[in-house]
Amino acid sequence: MSPDDPLVRRAADPITVALTVNDRPSRMTVEPRTSLADALRDELGLTGTHVACEQGVCGACTVEVDGEAVRACLLLAVQADGTEVRTVEGLAAPDEPLHPIQQAFTDHHALQCGFCTPGLVMTVHHLLAERHGVDDGEIRTVVSGHLCRCTGYQGIVDAVRHADRTWDRPIGDGSG
Amino acid sequence: MIVVRDADANSSLGARLPRFEDGRLLRGRGRFTADTPPPRCLHVAFVRSPHPHALIEDIDVTGARSASGVVSVLTAADLPHASLVDACTVPGLVKTPQPALAGERVRFVGEAVAMVLAESRALAEDAAERVEVRYTALPPVVDPEAALLLPPLDPALSSNEVYRGRRATPGLEAAFAAADHVVSGTFTTGRLTAAPMEGRACSATFDPVADTLTVRCSTQSPHLLQRKIATCLGMDVAAVRVLVDDVGGGFGQKIPASPEEIAVALAARAAGRPVLWVEDRRENLVAGPHGKAQRVELALALDGDGTFRALRCDVLGDAGAYSFNSASALIEAYLAAGLLPGAYRIPETGWQVRSVLTTKVPIAPYRGVGWTSGHTARELLIDRAARLLGRDPVDLRRQNLVRPADLPYTTPTGMTYDSGSHLATLERAAKLVDAANVVPGPTADGRYRGFGISPYVEPSGWGSAGAAESSWSFASHDSVRVEMAASGAVTAVVGTPSQGQGHTTTLAQIVASVLTCDPRRVRVVTGDTAGTPLSTAGTRASRVATVIGGALLHATERLAAKLALVAGHLLDADPADISFRDGRAVAPSGSVGLAEIATAAVVDPAVRAALPEPDLTATAFYDPPATYSNGCVAVVVEVDPGTGRVDVVDAAVVEDCGTVINPMIVDGQTLGAFAQGVGAALYEDAGYGADGSPHATSFTDYLLPTARCLPRIALEHLESPAPHTRGGIKGMGESAMIATPGAVACAVAAAVAPLGITVTHTPIHPHELVATEE
Ligand code: FES
Ligand code: FES
Repeated sequence: MSPDDPLVRRAADPITVALTVNDRPSRMTVEPRTSLADALRDELGLTGTHVACEQGVCGACTVEVDGEAVRACLLLAVQADGTEVRTVEGLAAPDEPLHPIQQAFTDHHALQCGFCTPGLVMTVHHLLAERHGVDDGEIRTVVSGHLCRCTGYQGIVDAVRHADRTWDRPIGDGSG
Repeated sequence: MIVVRDADANSSLGARLPRFEDGRLLRGRGRFTADTPPPRCLHVAFVRSPHPHALIEDIDVTGARSASGVVSVLTAADLPHASLVDACTVPGLVKTPQPALAGERVRFVGEAVAMVLAESRALAEDAAERVEVRYTALPPVVDPEAALLLPPLDPALSSNEVYRGRRATPGLEAAFAAADHVVSGTFTTGRLTAAPMEGRACSATFDPVADTLTVRCSTQSPHLLQRKIATCLGMDVAAVRVLVDDVGGGFGQKIPASPEEIAVALAARAAGRPVLWVEDRRENLVAGPHGKAQRVELALALDGDGTFRALRCDVLGDAGAYSFNSASALIEAYLAAGLLPGAYRIPETGWQVRSVLTTKVPIAPYRGVGWTSGHTARELLIDRAARLLGRDPVDLRRQNLVRPADLPYTTPTGMTYDSGSHLATLERAAKLVDAANVVPGPTADGRYRGFGISPYVEPSGWGSAGAAESSWSFASHDSVRVEMAASGAVTAVVGTPSQGQGHTTTLAQIVASVLTCDPRRVRVVTGDTAGTPLSTAGTRASRVATVIGGALLHATERLAAKLALVAGHLLDADPADISFRDGRAVAPSGSVGLAEIATAAVVDPAVRAALPEPDLTATAFYDPPATYSNGCVAVVVEVDPGTGRVDVVDAAVVEDCGTVINPMIVDGQTLGAFAQGVGAALYEDAGYGADGSPHATSFTDYLLPTARCLPRIALEHLESPAPHTRGGIKGMGESAMIATPGAVACAVAAAVAPLGITVTHTPIHPHELVATEE
């Protein structure tokens, strides 16, 4: 196909996406190929969502879309049209105290460089929103979906166990 | 002296203080290089060589230039620059500079040959695919042994060998001749890569009016990068400003100036617009510097009773394609040889070190630089000796470790261990994993269990003296500045950025310990060569706590002396009678708070009238004496002989880094390095195929350990304060990466020994451990 082919041109035309991000209605105009991660960062300035592999392996880009933890590098921004997205910036407002999960992360030294951290925090948020009373094996299984090069994970496991106790939240369905 | 300390009630040193930097990182408000693109910046996509070795015949950029959103496509011909070679020298080391962009020849898969500047990264990548490069392939040079015989990669050289050196103590040969036993072996450590979660990233903005360049970079060494960019671009050092914000991990990879960073600086000047390059994971794996990659041939001479008499090694380092900075061709092999005796009393040693060029990514430091490979080889050899002599591996080590009465102990390679707890850490680590009750070999459920123990020494806190004891020519000193504002708030300004080590917290604790104030009152400022005092070496070699920490102690004491003058005036007391307690200057006549002193110094004319310079700024320079941390790693593994799967089922690290500033951060560094060590031993492999192509091009090939690969690790700290550094501080942070691969490899070797399998290299691949039918 030549670049002048109408099909090609249409595939590259920018598309406007309307979605709710951290409780705020947002609109952005993106190329169809733009990932949600790039769109959140470049269009909405939410640079807390990091990309470290762009192929779904590391988990650094994890955000919640309609309550599910997803890898924002694997979702196109256009696929998020009409959804509710929560990013790490949406866990606690700048003038509010840290979310109990964030507090547990600092108390247990669960981060060093902080590059993997936003994605991990979002996965933990999703885990604990659904499950109460998680044990270390389960925590390690969930955390093993993320790569952290700095911490050796022990502080992260401790933080999750702690946040499970300190985060006052409604009882989920427990099915995880 | 070993003390197990309780934190001094009046000192912030030793406090398990949560980190000040955590809040913004946890809120997603970290500021990494990619988060702050310069206004109107162009985005870079590099065109990289698919060949391990080839001549570049022609580069056709016309298609790329006309692609949508493209502003410029640059090749080596467009970007002449002075050569990128480090000032650091070791006599006899041949240097071969890597150009910012390859011009005539490529020497590894992934080497950059052109760069596209476009309005977005996606458009730049689109256009990069349209750059047509015509190559004439040349044979790859993969095996370092073979490289010695193959035509040199650099036509100016006579051989691919860029270094050969030997050294031996006079009694070496006699010791081997007189030995009751000689145990030998050859061990290799594969190529690893630091794989920081944030890859390399760099932006540059050129101001043609002022003739200045502002660079923002994910680097460990801003001053070094500033110097390199200035040299390569022919600018004055003062006209180049390097900024560093948050860095998403470095582990050594971000010490050297990258050719890509030079290219970005050149491109910003050439294009007249700011330029941003953020590498993707593939680039980081195939073009970011690698680490390790050594072949170590060892022989140990022992008496009949197991006493070590002599150790000899022949190290062959695989330098990769270029020998262009302190961090490349030699650092691995050379440092391995220097730390050959490790924590043991071995009176005679000798080494030969060679380093050769191959068609692979150049080597750079990666945590435990050089030492990991030599250490792993030595520990495997000691276990081999223990098996041969029928000795318990802990007991054989106990017999030969440096004892308290030996300290200070000078190794035959010229390192003087100033203090330490070599035996005590061994005993504790063995106890924590209950080594006495681990029976190596088959378990009831058909797996094979093994135990490994790995006592280490880490040459830490490299100042110039420490570098010299490692026979390395390396300027490693720092200046710092401490200032107090009229409000009493303290600012400590240092030249060493953090890549997650928590300097904002630990350095504040050091300053606060002198002023007896709340560490939260101390703001640590770094990451701007325009405003921070010079750090020649930057953040590397576990040096910040020792060098910067020591300098801050000096500077803060100077500041305290100035405060005492003002306080003396306010309290009508002799400044010599003033001491500090709970953030107040205390004299027999009364006390006054730091804020009141500071305010008076700034605004009180009476103070000004009484004191010639009521200035509350102090600077200090520090270049510490050599110091050595130590400790021990112990692990228990289980091997499934059917699949070759290895599980680390128990582990302990007992470390001694002298005075502990913040035990929580020491824990974190230890645990992180331990995990990297397990990765090095079992999972991570940045090797190359015989055709010169890299095996690891994504995180699905380069396997980092996950939370499921690790057991809960028991940690203990002993404290042998350094007798000669300020505050007794030693460095740490690399330790567990030096010792863990050896511990894991020894444990696996012990587990599979009954199966007739020997372990001679890391990473240990599962298929090597699968028991074959008898
Ligand atoms: S960046 Fe999305 S999973 Fe790694
Ligand atoms: S904290 Fe650095 S990668 Fe996890």
